[in-house]
Parts: sequence; C-alpha cells; structure tokens
Amino acid sequence: MKKIFLSLLILIIGFSNSKSQVNSAMFGTMKTRQLGPGTMSGRITAIEGVLKDEGKTLYVGSAGGGVWKSTNAGASYKSIFDKYCQSIGAIAINQKNPNIVYVGTGESNMRNTVSIGYGMYKSTDAGDNWKKIGLDSTEHIARIIIHPEYTNIIYVAVPGALWSDSKHRGVYKSSNGGDTWEKIFYIDEQTGCAELLMDPTNPNILFASMWQFRRQPFSFNSGGKTSGLYKSSDGGKTWKEITSGLPPKPFGRIAMNLAPSDPKQMVAIVESAKTGLYISSDGGESWKNQSATMNTCARPFYFSTIVIDPKDSKRVYRPAFQFAYSSDGGYSFTEASGDGGWVHSDMHALWINPFHTNIMYLGTDGGVYMSVDKGVTWQFNHGLPVGQFYHVMYDMKEPYNVYGGLQDNGSWMAPSAAPGGIGNANWDRVGGGDGFWTMPDPDGKVVYSEYQGGNMSRVNLSNMKYDFIQPQKTAKEEKLRWNWNTPIVLGAKNSKNLYVGAQYLYKSTDQGRNWQRISDDLTTNDKNKQKQEDSGGLSEDNTSAENHCTIFTIAESPLDENLIWVGTDDGNLQVSTDAGKTWTNVSGNVAKCGIAKQAWVSSIEPSRFDKNIVYATFENHMYGDHQTYLGKSTDMGKTWFRINDKQFIAYAHKIKEDLVNKNLLFLGTEMGLFATLDAGVSWFKMKNNIPEFLMTRDIQVHPKTHDLIIASHGRGIFILDDIRTIRNLNKDIWEKDVYIFPTPNIVLNNGKMGWGGPETSGGWGEGNPAEHPTIDYYFKERLNSGKVNLEIYDANGNLVQSKPGTIRRGINKIDWNLRGTPPKVAAGGTKMDGAGFTAPMVLPGVYTLKLKVKDKEYISTVNCVHDSDNKDLSLVDRKLIYDKAMALQKLYNLVNSSIDTINYYQTALKEDSVAYKKNKNAIAFNADLQKLKGELMGVKKTSIFADEKRVREKVSELYSNFCYQEAAPNKTQLEAIDDLNKEYDVQNTELQKLFTKHLPKNPELKKKKLD
Amino acid sequence: MKKFKVYLIMVFLSSFSLSGISQSLEEIIAKHIEAVGGRSNWEKIQTLRSESVMKAQGADIKFLTVIQNKKASRSDIYVMGMKGFSILTINQGWSFYPWQGQAKSEAMTTDDVKNSQDGLEILDELMTYKEKGNTLDYYGLDDIDGTECHKIKMTTKEEKEVTFFIDPSNFYIIKRTQKVKANGQENESSTFYSDYKKLPEGIVYPMSNSSGWSENEVVKLEINPKIDEALFKPEK
Repeated sequence: MKKIFLSLLILIIGFSNSKSQVNSAMFGTMKTRQLGPGTMSGRITAIEGVLKDEGKTLYVGSAGGGVWKSTNAGASYKSIFDKYCQSIGAIAINQKNPNIVYVGTGESNMRNTVSIGYGMYKSTDAGDNWKKIGLDSTEHIARIIIHPEYTNIIYVAVPGALWSDSKHRGVYKSSNGGDTWEKIFYIDEQTGCAELLMDPTNPNILFASMWQFRRQPFSFNSGGKTSGLYKSSDGGKTWKEITSGLPPKPFGRIAMNLAPSDPKQMVAIVESAKTGLYISSDGGESWKNQSATMNTCARPFYFSTIVIDPKDSKRVYRPAFQFAYSSDGGYSFTEASGDGGWVHSDMHALWINPFHTNIMYLGTDGGVYMSVDKGVTWQFNHGLPVGQFYHVMYDMKEPYNVYGGLQDNGSWMAPSAAPGGIGNANWDRVGGGDGFWTMPDPDGKVVYSEYQGGNMSRVNLSNMKYDFIQPQKTAKEEKLRWNWNTPIVLGAKNSKNLYVGAQYLYKSTDQGRNWQRISDDLTTNDKNKQKQEDSGGLSEDNTSAENHCTIFTIAESPLDENLIWVGTDDGNLQVSTDAGKTWTNVSGNVAKCGIAKQAWVSSIEPSRFDKNIVYATFENHMYGDHQTYLGKSTDMGKTWFRINDKQFIAYAHKIKEDLVNKNLLFLGTEMGLFATLDAGVSWFKMKNNIPEFLMTRDIQVHPKTHDLIIASHGRGIFILDDIRTIRNLNKDIWEKDVYIFPTPNIVLNNGKMGWGGPETSGGWGEGNPAEHPTIDYYFKERLNSGKVNLEIYDANGNLVQSKPGTIRRGINKIDWNLRGTPPKVAAGGTKMDGAGFTAPMVLPGVYTLKLKVKDKEYISTVNCVHDSDNKDLSLVDRKLIYDKAMALQKLYNLVNSSIDTINYYQTALKEDSVAYKKNKNAIAFNADLQKLKGELMGVKKTSIFADEKRVREKVSELYSNFCYQEAAPNKTQLEAIDDLNKEYDVQNTELQKLFTKHLPKNPELKKKKLD
Repeated sequence: MKKFKVYLIMVFLSSFSLSGISQSLEEIIAKHIEAVGGRSNWEKIQTLRSESVMKAQGADIKFLTVIQNKKASRSDIYVMGMKGFSILTINQGWSFYPWQGQAKSEAMTTDDVKNSQDGLEILDELMTYKEKGNTLDYYGLDDIDGTECHKIKMTTKEEKEVTFFIDPSNFYIIKRTQKVKANGQENESSTFYSDYKKLPEGIVYPMSNSSGWSENEVVKLEINPKIDEALFKPEK
C-alpha cells in the first residue's frame, strides 16, 4: 500500500514537474520562415499519382523533406508529413480507395549521406492524418505494393540497415492493411530486398531483388553471393531463384520492372562483374543480355529505377545519371533532349500517368520534372523546397545574406529579406558539385566555397571568378585526405583566420593565398581505413564520399584565437592552446562519459562565456549506433559529461550556444531540433513551423538581428526571426499569468524592402521578417473568455491606435504599424479610397502600451526613434511631414463631413419615397446635392479602369503620399495642400448656398438635427 | 483450448479498446454540445443577426450578418465608405465587392453554393452529424495555439472534410478547418474561435473569430430577430 502511495506521489510530482518545464507551446506565435528554396530543390525518392482523378493528385517523397502533395498536377505542392520522419523510401496509394496511402520511411538510395527511417505510416484520409503501422526497425524501405484486388494485402521491400547487420530486412507482408506484419522472405542479416514487383494480371506472382550490401565510414560494398533475383508464384509463400540467362554471380543491386500491359515482358539491370541490361519475354523465367550504354548501367546502387510504359511494352525508360528512353524494348536507348532546359542528373523515381502515358514525372537529385512528350523534354516543378543543406552561414550586410552548400546542388547565397519576399529568383550560385561549407569573408567581397573532397575556391563576388585555394601536399607529406564534407571555417575570435582541414590543419590569414600547416596528422591515421580506391564492391565507386581519417570539424574559441579545437571523422578530439603549435587529444576523456570512441566529431562549440567550457556533438550512426551524443566539458576537455534527454532519438549534428544567454542552447539532430533554457537540464522540441523530425545539420545565431538560422538536410533554410523573446524567457516570466516583454527601440521608417511587386519567377516563396520589432507578451494559459486589446498612447495621453491581440498560451505578438488611427470615410464612393487605411507615422517619443486582458490592464512603454540612417529625412522634415499629413487628414475629414451631410439630406429627402416623387422641391434639392457631391468625390465611374478624381480623391492621394513620405517634401507638394483647401472651400461654400436655396422650400427637413 | 482462450481474451481486449475509442469520441461530442448550451437551446434559434468589426491597419471594417436557419444568409460589409455583400440561399448565391472593382453583384458558382450550405445552419455541425449521415474520426490530440486539442474530422456524404479542434479544458471548438473541392480546385481554410460567452438564451457563443490574420469581434448579437426575406435577393 505504501508502495502504491509512493508511486502515485512520484507520478504526481513528475506530472507537476513536467508541467512547469519549458515546452514548445510556450513559443506561440514565433514561427520560422521557410526560405526553401525551390530553385534547386533536392533529392526525390518516390512519386505516385492517384488514378481516380487521372493523375491530378500526386504524392512526392523526398530524401530529407518528407512527403509533399499536389492536387493540381504539380503546379504547387503542400507538405503533408511534417510530424514524422522526413526520409522517405516509398509511397503506395490504394487506387480502389485513394484516401488510403502508405508511406515507408527510410530512403533506399544507399549513398554515404542517406538518412534512416522510422517505419511504415498509413493515412486513411488522403494524407491529412497519419498513423504509424510498424516495421519500426527496418531503417530503409524500397517499395510498397498493394494487392490490386484485396487491398488489405500489402508487400514491402526492405533493404534494411545500411551500416550494420540486421534481422529487420527482406520482404514483409501484411494481410490486414498494416495492422500486423509477417516477414515472408529473408536470407540473412546482410541481405535485404532492394526491389519488389507484382504481376498485375496475377498478383500471386512476385519478383524480389535481394541485395547484399554494406557501408562502413570508409568503404562501400555492393554485392555478394546472397544477392539474387527471386520469383514467387504463390503470393510470397515460396520463392525460387532465377539464374537462367543471367550473368555469373555474385550479383549486386538489381533494378527491374515488368510491362503492365504484358507482364511477361521484363527488363533488369543486373549489377555483377559485368553489369548489364537483361530482358525476359517469359515472365522472368529466362533472361537475355542486351547491349547497353554506360548511362543505362552506371552506378547500380544509386540508380535503381527502370520503368516500362503502362500501355506500350516496347517503351522503356531508364532514369539514371541521365534520362534515357527506348522504343524497342530496351535494345537501344536515346538520352532526353536538353530543349526546355537542363534536367538534373541522378534520377531515382518516375511515375507515368497510365491514362495519358505521354505525361510523366521524374524525381532527381534536384527536384521533380514533368514531361508531356514521353520523356523527350522536361519542365521543372519550382515549388518543392526540399534542398539538402549541409551548413549555413551569414554575413553582416543589411539585410544579411545566408550561404550554404547542398547535396548535389552546389553552393548558394540569398538575402534574408528582399523586396516582395524571398523567391526562387533571389538565390545565386557560388559553387558547383556537391556544396558544403560556404563561408563569406568579413570583407563582404569574397566567399569561400567547395565541392566534395575539399576542392575549395575563393569566389570574388564582384566578378564571380573562382580561384582554387586548396592546400597541396609537399613532397615530404603523405597524400592529403580531405573529407567529403571538408571544413572551411573562419575564426570566431579573429575572423581573418581561415582554417581548413585534411588530416592536417591549415591556417591562412590572407584569404587562402598562402597557407600554414599548424598541426601534424590529427587523425588516428588508421591505414585500414584508407583503402578508398577499393571501395564500391562489384561496381567501383570512389567519389571521395568514403574518404576517412580526416578532419571534420574546426572551431576557434570566440574568446581566444590561440585556443583551437579540431574533431575528426575517426573519433579524435584535439585541442591547442597555442594557435596550433602543440595539440592534445582529449578523445579518451570523452569516451569516459559514455560517448562512442570512434564517433565522428560532428560539431564543436567553444563557449563564448568561459574559455574552459566547450560543447561537442558526436555521431556514430555509421557504426549502426543512432544515439544522440552531446558532451560538455568545463575544464577545457579534461573531463566530460554527457547531456541526454529522452526526447532525443537520433544522432546529433550540431550544438549551438546562444550569443547572449549562456543557458540557451540549440541542438540539431537527424530527427528534430531541440533547445534548452537551462543549459541542458531540460529540453524541448522546436516545432514553430519546423517539421518535428527536421534533419537539422547546422544552426547559427545572427549577432545583429538575433535570428536563429537553421540549415536542414531536406527542407532548405529556416529563419526564426529575432529570438530575443526566447532568450529573455525565464522562470520569473513563465510563472506569471501575463507578462509584456520589453520592446526594443523601434526605428521609425517604412521598412527597408519596399513593395517589390508580385513574384514573377514562380515556385516557392517566403515573406520577409516583420519590418519593425513586434510588441510581445506572454500568457501562462490560453484566454478562454474575454478579449485582449492593445492600446497605444502618446506622451499626452492621446489614444494613437487600438489593436486586438491574440490569446494563445505562450508568446503572443502584435505588429503595430507605427501609425495612428486612419480617418473615417464617408459613404458613397465608387472606388476604394486608400486614405481610409492610412494614418501618418507617429513622431519619435515614448509611447505607453496598455494591454487590456479582460478586466485587467498591463502597462509597458515603447521608445520610437527617428531613423538617423535615412539621410533624406531630417528630424525637422519628419515633423513637417507629420504636421502636413495631419493637416491633410483634417481636410480629408472636412470633405467627408460635407459628404456625410449631403448623404444625410439625400436620405432624409427620400425617406418617404412616394412623397419624394411628388415633391418638385425635394427632387430639385436632391439633384443639386448630387451634383455637388459629384464635385466633392467621384460618383460616376464605377470601373476601376476609369479615373474620376474629385476633391476627396485628390486629398486622399496627397494625404497618403505624405503619410508614407520619407524625404523632405518638395515645394509643389506643400503648395498643393493650400490649393486643395481652397478647392474644398469653394465646394463647401456651394453647399451652404444650397442650404440657403433649398431648405426654406423643404421645411420638413429643418426639423432634422445634423450631427 | 488454450488457443481459444487467448483468442477470446484478444477479442475482448480489442472490442474493449475499440468501444473505448468510440465512447471517447462520443463523450467529447456530448461534452462539447453541453458546453455550448445544449442542443435544445440551439434548436430554438431560427434567425440570428450579428454585427461585428474587424480591425485592419487601425481602420474598422464592419460586418452585418443575418441568418435564417436552413434557408438563407446575408453579410453586408462596410469598408472605406463602400458597401458590399454576399448572399447565400439554398440554391443560389451572389457577391458584390465594389472595392474589388465589381460594378454589380455576381453569381456564385453551383459548386460554391453547394459547399457553403453549412453556413446556413445555425445548429452546430457536431450536433447533427449523425442524422445527416456524416462520419466522425478521432485523431488524438493536436497542438493548436499552444493548447493540446481533440482533433475530430467530419466527412460529409459529399466528401467535404471539416476538422474540429476542441479544447479539452472547456470543450469549445477553438479551430475549424474545412477542405472543399470546388470548381476543379481544392481549397482549405481555417477559422479560429475565442471569447465564448453564455447568452440569456442559454447558448454559448464565440464572440471573436479570426481567419488567422485578423480578428473579427462580435459587438452585437440578436437571437431570433425578425428578418425581411427581401434581404436575400441582391439589389439591382
């Protein structure tokens, strides 16, 4: 009994503790901007279309950006998998009930940087909601096939783990729509199923391509004696190996397919000692070798797709390094035309619309392309922001630029804000190949970028010339070993220091023109891990992706340029306190806290608050270990302790310390971005417009704008604007019911981006940050009843503007436009009058903020300051503009008051419509009023394409101009105010004359009281 | 025999868990109906007139809305001295937005009229889903504005999908999302509700709603006012 009580007590305490912790819900309205872009997009792994609507609905799976859905044949896409694993292996649609969709997570293009999956998911409402349905440990899924008749029968091809032995591989079957699974074909812990086919005319006939494969951090092997092509004729109960006509074993990966219109016709690309194309005309029982081009057979582990036209068994498509098609059953191939633009190489998915087989969608390392002419030419889909960045950096310009390199898509830069927002056209290329570290020099004129294997350049941004700067080995040195993702890093203390690492660390202080080697070999230099020329297995494959025993991470202390940290891909963590003269390997100290010894040092973060403090992340997934390793040392690496949290489920790429709050840390992992406000004691997942399993590769905090900048490996770049509110959040605040955060000084201007016009380049686009600091407040709980209103008062206690506020739990934001309340607009116009939404910008000064929450009031202030950067506008001119705008607002009010008066009499005259029609005096009065109204404002031209400027329109236009003026007004503008006043006076005098003329003849109106 | 026992236990457990989920959904709906004042009170309402104000750039945009239950609705919109309207009946609809350059009212498409019909019904959709043959699915809790809400999706016979997010602390709907396929397009829109108030008639009504970018505040609400049916025809 005592035990039960104790358990209950623990449960209650645990619950109350968890309630008091910071969590993602607290950050309320703070939402990231997803910059994408769609410019170069990213790797696509699966494309499926819904037959019911003839292919208008498409599902696209990506390597690191989840699942995207289009309901307009690819004109636009929407992300529908943000809460789940972002690495997608396969998608299948139940075509009898297309609301049922299956997604297998874990891409099966087994490159060095491929991510891992988290099992199978099922939607029963066309992708709106998903449920996890098992196969959690499979890591990679290549194909899902649904029985065409009995749709609860599902087969899944599972290659399984890439980096380790695993029993979770082979062919799986469910007979109940994914509720339970049975492994129906299994060979061993090294061999999985890379492809699975079903004969649509006899669904009991299945073909499985079994593949033995393995990666290590320093090598890849495709092929082995257990690979083979198998056939089942009883729905997967029994399997027989097919060898007739195929080359001698061992095999590697087999890409294969059958003709839906004639399933006995099959094609296969069989990786072997002599990789070749094979065709079968007897349902796969026997095969015949075909001649084949290099493109058709290249890189079988990565290009595993071959497709036959749904209607024409002779039309064969081979998406590979290039796109090729055959019209003679695979006997000969032609490569696609370049007309219509370049098509990204490296292709992994193809969906052909079976109703209109000239229409097809192609998935590449650089997004989705659509063809309407059977693959001859292609058009790019611009709206898929699934780029796989490795790193991100920023410069100090206004607006600042972001820089980063992507998988197979080079290196790019883009502004963090641009006129009209950031679209695909705002991105500029600053490097080719696979891009990685892209570092802007502090001089603002130079960027350092690279492609795989440390091939680095200094890019002159003024003329876009690339100068190759990679350090070369001397005669006395070993061959230099450069990582696939070679670090190029500028000093955090002294930004003139440029560091790059092979197995040695190099430093340049003249932009890479000269290098000094400042270390010996900092790696383990294990020769057994340096046989990359033998890598690949049956097909040689050595593109620097397997380079090993290299430096992977470099970090100079923000407090001392002599304090340098280096991490390697083979487990070494080295520190120098004398600018590289001597080095100490502290990896043994790290291992003592439970971090795997050989793990890659994925990031190092020397603290900016204490030289002795350093954080580092380590990742060991290439040894089959997915644990999140985050370590901290407070004695410069002598001792370490591991920071962990039950929410962490995947390996770590980046630890970032905030620039101001030493307890605020950000952790980027393969499955999610996390933050802590108590130096790692408790963590919360960041979900603010961020996919919950975001592959977070890099994190930066901008020192001027306080933006959090995130590089993802599958969803492009994210920016969380101005994190000062998170930075300032503490227990004292979050335990209050309501709290108004201090608002930073607001500089009075119209922003710096202008309007920009509509985006004309199409595709993905994202908005700009708020032009001014927002007014932020915190609610401990959601306000269930009552209203929130913010009132802004000037120094004299006059109400400037009143705005409703949001009521959500956590941080709420109000974006005040820095203006007063617009004037009222009298009824009766025929066109929109902009003055009704316009008021002059307030003058510099301290404004009082009254946040009214139900019946309580919370007070704060905000200081609005003159924009001294704007040399076109002095403070004197600002006041002049304000005064003139207010004078025009007064005139505008007078004009509207006259119109209101006319409206009033016209309504009164017609109140009794029968009497009105018989009353000549009333009709005459109304006619004169209408004529005069027509002088005060436009009343005739209803078309927006026909102008009719009268007094109100003229005042409105000048008033709006003054309201938005940010330079001294010219003389004609000032004179125009007097002219408009006179123009109004003339009409007002006319109005008074009308009253004198008509009111005596319409005595009943005298009884009406005017407002 | 042993196998049979295990089977029985499994059947019992699965039926228990299924009925548990079903009961839970029914309970949520029942609590929601109770929270908003009960069906009988809502059924007494045959007409509704509301006046609401939306703030934009410090300016007010006024809405006057009338609904005649299951027959027609009209919203007059006053913006910058101009007046526009939208009218919906059972089989027709019109809109007139002069600030967009329209010189006269324009007819709604048949699809739009069909898909807007739920706006004519004063009764809460969750009160009537069963009798209309609509289905509900429960998708657990989902974070809406920092509140973990019950997520319930209603699919109508016409395949229109409406998702309700219900705050478990008071069983009010705080977000409603609808997805419609009309005119060859698929459109999704959301409305957020807040400031629920109990009215003398016994119903509990959200006095604020928002499309996510602006708040619309109800300043006056009349229950069962007399409504001139001429309002439901566009002015010529």
